[in-house]
Amino acid sequence: MNIRTLIPFAIFLCLLVLSCGKNEKSKSLQDETSKLKIAVIPKATTHEFWKAIHAGAVRASRELEVEILWKGPQREDDRAQQIIVVEDFISRGVNGIVLAPLDDRALCRPVQDAVRENIPVVIIDSGLQGEDYISFVATDNYKGGVLAAKKLGELLRGKGDIFLIRYQAGSASTTKREKGFFDTITAEFPEISLLVQDQYAGSTTETAFQRAENLLSRFPEVDGIFCPNESSTFGTLRAIQEAGLAGKIKFVGFDSSVKLVQALRGGHIHGLVLQNPMKMGYLGVKQMVLYLKGQKIEMRIDTGVYLATRENMDDPDIKRLLMPDLSSYLD
Amino acid sequence: MKRKKRLQGLIGWLAPFFGLILVLAIFSSIPEIQDRFLRIANFKSVATQSVIVALGALGMTLIIISGGIDLSAASNLALSSVIVAYAISAGFHPVMALFCGIVTGGLIGFVNGSLITSLRLVPFIVTLGMLGIARGIAKWIAGNQKIDAPLTWVNELMARNPRPSWLLMAPGVWLMIFLAIALAVVLRYTVFGRHVFAVGSNEAAARLCGIRTNRTKIIIYSISGLFCGLSGAMQFSRLTVGDPTVAIGLELDIIAAVVIGGGSLSGGEGSILGSMIGVFIMAFLRNGSTMMGWPNYIQEIIIGAIIVVAVSLDQIRHRRER
Repeated sequence: MNIRTLIPFAIFLCLLVLSCGKNEKSKSLQDETSKLKIAVIPKATTHEFWKAIHAGAVRASRELEVEILWKGPQREDDRAQQIIVVEDFISRGVNGIVLAPLDDRALCRPVQDAVRENIPVVIIDSGLQGEDYISFVATDNYKGGVLAAKKLGELLRGKGDIFLIRYQAGSASTTKREKGFFDTITAEFPEISLLVQDQYAGSTTETAFQRAENLLSRFPEVDGIFCPNESSTFGTLRAIQEAGLAGKIKFVGFDSSVKLVQALRGGHIHGLVLQNPMKMGYLGVKQMVLYLKGQKIEMRIDTGVYLATRENMDDPDIKRLLMPDLSSYLD
Repeated sequence: MKRKKRLQGLIGWLAPFFGLILVLAIFSSIPEIQDRFLRIANFKSVATQSVIVALGALGMTLIIISGGIDLSAASNLALSSVIVAYAISAGFHPVMALFCGIVTGGLIGFVNGSLITSLRLVPFIVTLGMLGIARGIAKWIAGNQKIDAPLTWVNELMARNPRPSWLLMAPGVWLMIFLAIALAVVLRYTVFGRHVFAVGSNEAAARLCGIRTNRTKIIIYSISGLFCGLSGAMQFSRLTVGDPTVAIGLELDIIAAVVIGGGSLSGGEGSILGSMIGVFIMAFLRNGSTMMGWPNYIQEIIIGAIIVVAVSLDQIRHRRER
């Protein structure tokens, strides 16, 4: 083995040491063994929404002086991977788990395993079957869908052709939004017809983009569109912009991100239904800490839904939801 | 001279263990998680988590030794798990449902092998096509969503705390161990096993020696398919739902495990033991990183680095031997 073959190894080792070393540093700051350790497990880690949840959890951890361990499934939106993360935290022995389950049923058994090992579980964001958890902190998603349907109906003055682009089969929270939207449109706006209501955007912006592009080339005459989460909203927005139909199609989306806020200001999006993910992350951890300290907690907490439009987007309350300031919590 | 050779053989045999021991040593030396990491319960849980990749890797080892590759392994796995879920929710007996799932996997493997030999296409292309086809069929059968099958004893196969408790580990883990040993024996001591190596080392020479290479290949891909089918059944057992989007990209984990364990993509080399160690290296890394609360990207970087390091060390060793 000569020097030349050693060089790449050396670089590799340096990289590894660097990446681990960087972590050690942030760890040592909060290296107090007496703190409660709470695992927070999101569905994914790269969406804006989950970053806001993370920030909320960090805020709670600072206020209540506990340590949080933030870890999502290795591949986003992979049920099997999320089960592994839950199991690993059970093995590690945390004081509590705050979980946003990717599946209302597949995560039941890992949660039961946690309870068997005396680790309480708070469920956030999406529901879980059974009664094994101590509290459920989430948006009333059905209400969010209703809010979107009313706004789109109002924008279209009660008539027109629309798409309901669904997110992904089996995702409980978005299915409820879609149902709320569908029920309200069919019940309250009989003159609005759904051109498409069984198409799924898929889990990434890219899949949503393609799906929306194909739908738009099939039905260029569409008057309105609703998408039930951030990635599908952004993907569809890109497709509308590419097709040169931005502003012409009344578009109501769900959740926010920098790009979506720009589009709202630019008139490409006419309404965004907002949740309060920071509050969700915050209350998820807080409920857990209260429970661990022996206080009585509520079984169900609704973190609320709000509608942002171009007109109200500068109100301080809405602005805080549209562009939450995460920088002070996440580095 | 002879002694030196034997020593080298021993080192070669132990080389894959070295990586695993290193990973175990690193995590057991971190005081924060030390006691937790070394608990038997944790090893049980890692073993259960490894079953799915391990079963896939057993079949993949055969294929890689024979000089091929199977990119459709994960799609095949998802399809089989959907078939099991579908059959159970359609009211089939669980044994029948498992059978259907495993046979589906075998069938996909058989089709792969037949297309590769009859069309004379490279395995990469055929299985790349099958990756899409099997995934598509899975989504189609599941009606583009997950299938909620009623709970049966099938879902106990991968329970971390098995019933009856004298089993100690999930039945799936025992199955994995048994099959690994069986396949290792087949590969080492049977005519078929030697043929697999012969086809991978030099296909033309193998054919000239009278080995029916095409038939051998079809059998290899079919067996590998059966393993994927079984892996799919285990995946269903674990998830309790038949999810057509499960295991996307898992074929790369499977291939990585084989390669870390000394498998050569140009054929003729690889071992069951090595592949299993590859599986466990990745599983323990994932487990340890999660326990430490490290973000996912660190894990991805480390596993990526390990693949490159493991394979290059392997090559350096080989060059020395020659």
